[in-house]
Amino acid sequence: MSVIQEVLAELWSMFVGDRRLTLLLLVVVGLGAAAALVLPAAAVAPLVLVGAIGVLADSVFHAARKAGR
Amino acid sequence: MFAWTTAAPAITASFAASFVEVVEAFTIVLAVAALRGWRPALIGAVAALGALALVVAVLGPALDLIPLRALEVTIGVLLLLFGLGWLRKAVLRAAGIMALHDEDAIFEREKAEIGGEVRGARSADWLAGLAAFKAVLLEGLEVVFIVLAVGAGRGLIGPAALGALGAFVTVMAIGLAVRRPLARVPENTLKFGVGVMLSAFGVFWTCEGVGAPWPGGDLALFGLAAVFLLVGLGLANLLRLRPAEARS
Repeated sequence: MSVIQEVLAELWSMFVGDRRLTLLLLVVVGLGAAAALVLPAAAVAPLVLVGAIGVLADSVFHAARKAGR
Repeated sequence: MFAWTTAAPAITASFAASFVEVVEAFTIVLAVAALRGWRPALIGAVAALGALALVVAVLGPALDLIPLRALEVTIGVLLLLFGLGWLRKAVLRAAGIMALHDEDAIFEREKAEIGGEVRGARSADWLAGLAAFKAVLLEGLEVVFIVLAVGAGRGLIGPAALGALGAFVTVMAIGLAVRRPLARVPENTLKFGVGVMLSAFGVFWTCEGVGAPWPGGDLALFGLAAVFLLVGLGLANLLRLRPAEARS
């Protein structure tokens, strides 16, 4: 593999190493952005935090289940 | 001039994350040095540092051209992806589901791999130098991202770079003194801490970017970090408490 290919693969794995986590997080941020249009700011920030925590928990338990197989 | 309450999280996150990355790069540079001597190892490492400096020189000013809101959301999401990824791995390692990072084992494996590649090759020093170049470039890319991400948007690239430089100098000073892989560095604890800090930065910037700033401004970072720390520790404990058969 060339150095450039390895650099691109590294960049990819930095942000999309876990596709499920990436996809769910993008959904959370998208929902946060949409909520910011209709809800007060003080309500949106905690929603994004709770969403991020939910994505982390899902990813951790999913990996644990896979490892247990 | 920057306020320390604003700069301290950026410097700390940058130092800790860079420390982990520099330790990993140092292990491979050391493997190259053990096989072919310090000359190709250092030439490869210095060339990679030059390439990374070029990336920073190009990307740093380019970030100023992006509108602040778009920059905050983009950096926030990337930091969340990166930070949650590290936190996830650190939780799984703390729970015993993933193997811990072993610098001694990696050193021996890299030495065997690089040794196999350069054995009998006419350009053995070139190949060994290339291995050092790739290691420093790939680990350094993560450092560059972290420095730019935690520093951009608030004019803190300088302090964040200072944190990374501090990590580089510390690892090199210890590494060159002991001339062994730095296997006793509590890497998972550091990764846990970095994952917590980067996730906190990520939520903070994402919320600022979508127009929902946290009350308390930059001080909210400390609260967010505390929440991610508690959640990370809680998840690791929950996984440790699972019945043994569920883990086997």
